[in-house]
Amino acid sequence: MDQKSSSLGRFGSKTILYLILMVFVFIFGFPFYYMFVLSTVPGTEVYRNPPHIFFKSSFFTNIRALFDDIPFAINFFNSFGIATLATVTVIFFCTMGGFALAKYDFKWKKPIFVLMLSTMAIPPFLNIIPFFKMMIFFQWYGTWLPLIVPGMANAFGIILMTQFMQSSIPDALMDAARIDGLTEFGILTRIAFPLSRSGIAVLGIMTFINSWNNFLGALVMLPNIQSTTLPVALSKLFMQMDGDRGGLMAGTVLAVVPLIFVFIAFNKQIISGLAAGSVKG
Amino acid sequence: MKKLVFLLTVAVAAGLLFVGCSGKKEQTAAADMPSFDPEKEYVVSIGAYGDLEKAYKAVMDTDDFKSTFPNVTVEFQTADFGGHHSRLTTVLAAGEATNDIEALEVGYIAKFVEGGGLTDLAAAPYNGVEVGKNIVDFAMSNATTSDGALVAMPVDIAPAVLFYRQSLVDEAGVSLENLESWDEFIEVGKKLVADRDGDGETDQFAIPNANEVAMTPLAGGKGGWFQDGKPLEPKEKFTKALTVVKKIREAGIDGDLGAWTGPWTQSFADGTVAATINGAWFGGALKTWIATDLSGDWRATRLPGDTLAALGGTYLSIPAEVPDEQKAVAWELIKYLTTSSNAQLTTFETIDAFPALTTVFDDPIMNEPVEYFGGQKVRQLYAEIAREIPNAAVSEYDAAILSVFGNAITDVLVNDASVEESYQTALNSVLAIAD
Amino acid sequence: MVETGKRIAPYVFISPFLILFAVFGLFPILYSITISFFKWTLAGPQDFRGIQNYISLLTTDPFFIGSLKTTFILLVFGSLLQHVFAIPLAIVLNDQKVKGRGFFKIMYFLPYITSTVVIALVFNQLYEQNYGWFNFIIENWLGLEGVKWIQNPGAIKASIAIMVNWRFIGWNTIIYLAGLQAIDKVLYEAAEIDGATGFRKHWHVTVPLLLPIIFFAVSMSIIGGMQLFEEPFVLMKGYETMGGPSNAGLTSAYYLLGTGFNFNRFGKASAIAWILFAIIMAMTWMNKVVTDRLQR
Repeated sequence: MDQKSSSLGRFGSKTILYLILMVFVFIFGFPFYYMFVLSTVPGTEVYRNPPHIFFKSSFFTNIRALFDDIPFAINFFNSFGIATLATVTVIFFCTMGGFALAKYDFKWKKPIFVLMLSTMAIPPFLNIIPFFKMMIFFQWYGTWLPLIVPGMANAFGIILMTQFMQSSIPDALMDAARIDGLTEFGILTRIAFPLSRSGIAVLGIMTFINSWNNFLGALVMLPNIQSTTLPVALSKLFMQMDGDRGGLMAGTVLAVVPLIFVFIAFNKQIISGLAAGSVKG
Repeated sequence: MKKLVFLLTVAVAAGLLFVGCSGKKEQTAAADMPSFDPEKEYVVSIGAYGDLEKAYKAVMDTDDFKSTFPNVTVEFQTADFGGHHSRLTTVLAAGEATNDIEALEVGYIAKFVEGGGLTDLAAAPYNGVEVGKNIVDFAMSNATTSDGALVAMPVDIAPAVLFYRQSLVDEAGVSLENLESWDEFIEVGKKLVADRDGDGETDQFAIPNANEVAMTPLAGGKGGWFQDGKPLEPKEKFTKALTVVKKIREAGIDGDLGAWTGPWTQSFADGTVAATINGAWFGGALKTWIATDLSGDWRATRLPGDTLAALGGTYLSIPAEVPDEQKAVAWELIKYLTTSSNAQLTTFETIDAFPALTTVFDDPIMNEPVEYFGGQKVRQLYAEIAREIPNAAVSEYDAAILSVFGNAITDVLVNDASVEESYQTALNSVLAIAD
Repeated sequence: MVETGKRIAPYVFISPFLILFAVFGLFPILYSITISFFKWTLAGPQDFRGIQNYISLLTTDPFFIGSLKTTFILLVFGSLLQHVFAIPLAIVLNDQKVKGRGFFKIMYFLPYITSTVVIALVFNQLYEQNYGWFNFIIENWLGLEGVKWIQNPGAIKASIAIMVNWRFIGWNTIIYLAGLQAIDKVLYEAAEIDGATGFRKHWHVTVPLLLPIIFFAVSMSIIGGMQLFEEPFVLMKGYETMGGPSNAGLTSAYYLLGTGFNFNRFGKASAIAWILFAIIMAMTWMNKVVTDRLQR
């Protein structure tokens, strides 16, 4: 780059950079903003033309409608409990599995990796039928178990962690730890976990969100409004003849708030993972 | 390769073993079926969608219900339309049952009627045909398989009518009453097209979308897709429906609005459309939220050419795998919901779902003038039509045909396909899907 | 002692997956293979067909081949195209000099957590043919003729691809960002001393180091893209429409689910699933070969 024009050029290109970043913010953020707007619009005016794009004042009316229609606190608790347990167990078992594939050489490594990829490549849609059959057989119908246990050590999570751990855990560090008398499990918990924080954060975000939004699974496995999760409870409000979508819209907003907090919490780990990674060795 | 074949064989054998082991429930002989015990405490679960829970809860709050079933507690599992039927498909395909009663929407009835997995209510001890003798015929026939099994009881129906706005019709100096044919409807419709604000663009149409007409000449698209086991026969019936749709679009009398979008909803309130074709329940929607300010202006009348059709309706069924004593109480509840005037009228009052039971058509409430419809006795109109709708057999292929024919309509409307060519494509597709 | 531990440890660590797979994964797979050889409806097996389901899907079925084409087109313009956006975005957001990175990260991730109900509502308003926001812009600002976004076969594919990109660019950006954290800073700085700047630095240093993550993200996109269902399903409004006019939005997974859940042909639907499986495996393997070659 020409030295003379560089400061002006840098200023210009910086402006353009931020401009582009802001355009993306608008594109990605608008429907999200719109979701909040709709939660404040009177319930029967959701399907109107021209659409409302600014906040209105019916938020609390809508919230009341929501609380009248579904046992919100109970559904929220169910959703939160299932998603939290799923996330914690997935993080533990998938990091463990990923660690094995990333940092050890063993005879069955390659076939197991291929097996994992294969299980992901099978379109999962119809599995719900035999899976449901099994859950009835195990007498797990109506419990949280079908929504947590089978996915605890899933291929997606293990492969994700494998890819992250390949480069973030130095072999030398592991050898040093062994000489210091750390067991393999100790290496996992004391070295592998802290050093793969950014991978764990990504896995945690994805798992929590997917579990939270799991509709068909919760619908099929949980028998009634008291036992079910938030998305299923909200689906009850989709098509009421009175045209009132206020409760539904307020519900979708309340349902997304925890996801924002979970994202922010884990996102911090992506940054601190960087700090841990840079002082390695 | 050999290894692969071997593995596959083993897999299939193992799979068959698994599937076979699951063992279907033995059908108990009618005489051995436990009957409903008024002394015993029962808990019954109902799988429902949309507003049904609200309606049935209202029924269960009535004194009549409480005194008839003091020993029954009811639980609901409610979801949206799609969710409810996906769940039910999963449960039945797995050969299981999770609720004692499952609701079915008329659009899905065909699939479950011939699909299996539901209790035959025509058989003893239910004798549902006798129990349902006062339920409108067409609805009973929709729930009956080709072998004569009755797999569900109709609880509400939706006779299709032409809704229109008196003021706009008067303005144009026309009438939508007693139209002889769809061609006449199109001619009248042309006079309802207007440019109200004078900006050179049409802003008033006869109806929101041409495709809403498409299904009605085919009895609302519910049944009647087969003749002598051949799909989409008689051919003329279908090509005629496609032709009507094409003519409407070409005449420019529809607003090309997508159902349940903002502009569509708005069009009934702001004068963009003068008329629309829909099930009776839509009158309730107009009144309660879509066009609340137009009280006294909307009317309802028979469809052009006296076309008879149903657009909506609910059925109640008992999955085959429900335990016998639960079946007994489930059947008592279904009987109550479908054949007691208290339940039928309460459902109607709560969610505007029109009764399937003909004996309540004579109730005073059905003869009341409705203020929203300018004092018209619309309920009598619905009842008359309901009685006249012809019986049509449903087949398990109906869902396939409905999709395929829906696309044939769009092809004709949007992509300029000819009627003949769209019909042929639809026919080929149906045969492939039904395979 | 250490050696024994080292030998046994990986098996112990991986065993939860194997156990769960044996208990929960195997039966559905066997079930699905089995029924794919039958005409299998809601009422169970009707008749044994051998591989006839597979053969007719690949030869005479009027929807399947078309659905595969649609799936491939959407895979390229929906699922794979987004990496072209996501990698540069991640690199920019990883740059310490860029201010407000936390803000941008959250904003870009929002599509993934926006409720499907609202997404359907928004995109239907965007694409509406008479009153939609897109057509408003096209007609009033650009003076062109409006597009029938969800009625015209070509436009339908574009509409779906736009939606897929919108929804998952942020998702991939987050994965790449996390991957970038693992790259050794020293290598970066060394490259800078050598005089490599900007784009070239990233092309020669960052991208090669990111390859394991790229392999992962692209594999996920292939798997997700070949199983694309929700976006076309929402936009085309359910099984009843079979992807809209000319089945333009009918992806293979959409067809699979419609065949099973709407048309009650579970055997045929399973056959579709296994054909898709074979294609996905082949593509993932190709992805692996390419990545390995680049890594060397």
